[in-house]
Amino acid sequence: MLGQQILSGLATGSVYALTAIAVVVVFRNTRTINLAQGDFGMIAAFLGILFIKEFDLNYYVMLPLVVLCSMALGVLVERIVMRPIADSDWLTLFTATLGVYYILHGAAGWIWGRDTKAFPVTFDAEPVDIFGALISQGHLINMGWAAAIGIVLFFFFKYTKQGIAMRAVTDDPETALLMGIPVRFIVLLTWGMAGFLAAFAGVLLAPIVYVSPEMMDEVLIKGYVAAVFGGLYSIPGAIIGALMIGVAENLAGGYLGSHFKTATAFVMIVVLLTFRPQGLFGIQKRREI
Amino acid sequence: MEQRTDADIQDQSPQPTKWDRSAIVRLKARFERQNWAGVLFLLACAVAFPMLPGVEGWQAYTVALVIIYIIAAQGISVLVGFTGLVSVGHGGFLAIGAYTSALLTKYFETDIIIGLISGGLMAGFIGFLLGLIFLRLSGAFMAIGTLGFAFFVGTVVNNVPLFEGREGISLPSNKVMFWEIGDIGFYYVSLTVLALVTLFSYCMVRSSVGRAFMALRDSEKAAEASGVNRVLYRTIAFSISAFITGMAGVLNGHIVNYISSEVYGDIWYSVDILVAVVVGGSAVLMGPIIGGIFVVMLPFMLEELADFAFILKGVVLILVLIFAPAGIAEVLGRPIRNMRARLLRQAGYGGREPAPAETTSVAAAPSQTEKP
Repeated sequence: MLGQQILSGLATGSVYALTAIAVVVVFRNTRTINLAQGDFGMIAAFLGILFIKEFDLNYYVMLPLVVLCSMALGVLVERIVMRPIADSDWLTLFTATLGVYYILHGAAGWIWGRDTKAFPVTFDAEPVDIFGALISQGHLINMGWAAAIGIVLFFFFKYTKQGIAMRAVTDDPETALLMGIPVRFIVLLTWGMAGFLAAFAGVLLAPIVYVSPEMMDEVLIKGYVAAVFGGLYSIPGAIIGALMIGVAENLAGGYLGSHFKTATAFVMIVVLLTFRPQGLFGIQKRREI
Repeated sequence: MEQRTDADIQDQSPQPTKWDRSAIVRLKARFERQNWAGVLFLLACAVAFPMLPGVEGWQAYTVALVIIYIIAAQGISVLVGFTGLVSVGHGGFLAIGAYTSALLTKYFETDIIIGLISGGLMAGFIGFLLGLIFLRLSGAFMAIGTLGFAFFVGTVVNNVPLFEGREGISLPSNKVMFWEIGDIGFYYVSLTVLALVTLFSYCMVRSSVGRAFMALRDSEKAAEASGVNRVLYRTIAFSISAFITGMAGVLNGHIVNYISSEVYGDIWYSVDILVAVVVGGSAVLMGPIIGGIFVVMLPFMLEELADFAFILKGVVLILVLIFAPAGIAEVLGRPIRNMRARLLRQAGYGGREPAPAETTSVAAAPSQTEKP
């Protein structure tokens, strides 16, 4: 029972982690708390339905297409909305993403309707037995994807030119610019990455929850809380935070009743901010507005 | 060195023929009178509105709804405009106010005045507790923390049996003391609360507390070095803001005599209030008013096209941020301010004074004396 709760908690947590990573990456490069992060994923899930149902595409053909569209959406948002106000304070940036949230939300509701839809691809309901703990295949596949993306990101940030440039912009945008790093392009890339991660979060979550304009709202909040665990700066911190939230809320749901499940994240953030406002690992950069 | 170059530049600018301090004082007093006249005019319009021929109950009801939003927006405006803090979770306080009053009305049959006071105090108290935790953080962290708070309140309201979740709590018709009031009566209650809240914020901004808020907003370090207790004053600001929003919540619940988690469990409700402040502009009296009208009337006018209203809201929000970052109120007020600035300049304000005034700082004094 305990093992099972922890395992499915990790599975939920891995979707939160994808969102949390995107929140952290965007925040540390652009000072923007991206409220539209969840909705990028929501749009991706709807596009997934569209590609599979209308164009009869295979799941594995649909996935890269959706990821590309979602990245394009991220880039578009940066280019049209965020760049003109890039030098403003964080509240302006934050409310601008809120505007994007409204637009995407309204557009999805307008095009695809308000009611929930089932995702056409579902995974085998037959649970898999891992060391005595049962877990659904969907969850297992999600964990696999999330882990794979984590590894890809690790190598991207560690070894590729763009990844290193991205970290340089994080540390000091002005110096990075003086060193000849195309900061604007990197910011564009950051938003592209947000779209990339959101696409996976949306498509991976879609078979588990129903697809609707509101599907990602809760995930987004959990992603934020997880990002705060990493001090809004550290990706590993955010991942650990996300997994912790996933496990904690599953345990709370299992042992205290499902009412407590959604409240767990808030309790965790209160405890965290009371005792370690700088995040789990004490990384404290860009704390000021 | 810098001061001297400043002085040199000012020397080349056209000098006012005569420095007349009393003219400037007179002008400023006149502007102040004009401001008050404007406010009183608005108030008179608002008071007279339900008495106009042809105005029916439901119209008063709609305007009262706008007024309630304006009150809530003023709650956030106190925070954003005067302390520079941002809360994304004020919907939580709205819910706390609404439920406190609703439960009191349901079980103790209290009237709306007691509801307003207790709902406001409850929200203020919880705001105080939250302030102790969140106000040590800044900016982005606080936004996420408060968003989490709104989410938490939504969950509690949805799941704790006392609040009756989506079933909701139906309230008896509204009473002030012992008299039952209808839509128009309720309109006047809301208007009174709005007037009191506005007066309160006006007085607060001009008090030592308000000055401490603004000092903290402009430079945290300088303010703290001058002996302003950061945590204390920010907690005060947060509590006041929660108190005002809580009262808006009470009104919001009583106006329809029914509250449910359908409305108060929705975290985006919180965000809507922030939108009102950002679109209208904070730190200006008219800001929350314009913002409140925008947020309420937009979905109201596009009732059939809820999704389109969403899109339009997003587009307007982004356009305002790009082209009028200080809010619509600031843009509308610009001609008046320009005209006043011109009048002041004509009277010599902003030109160089013939002798260093008392307010001139010590650092600036040498450059004044060095002038040939």
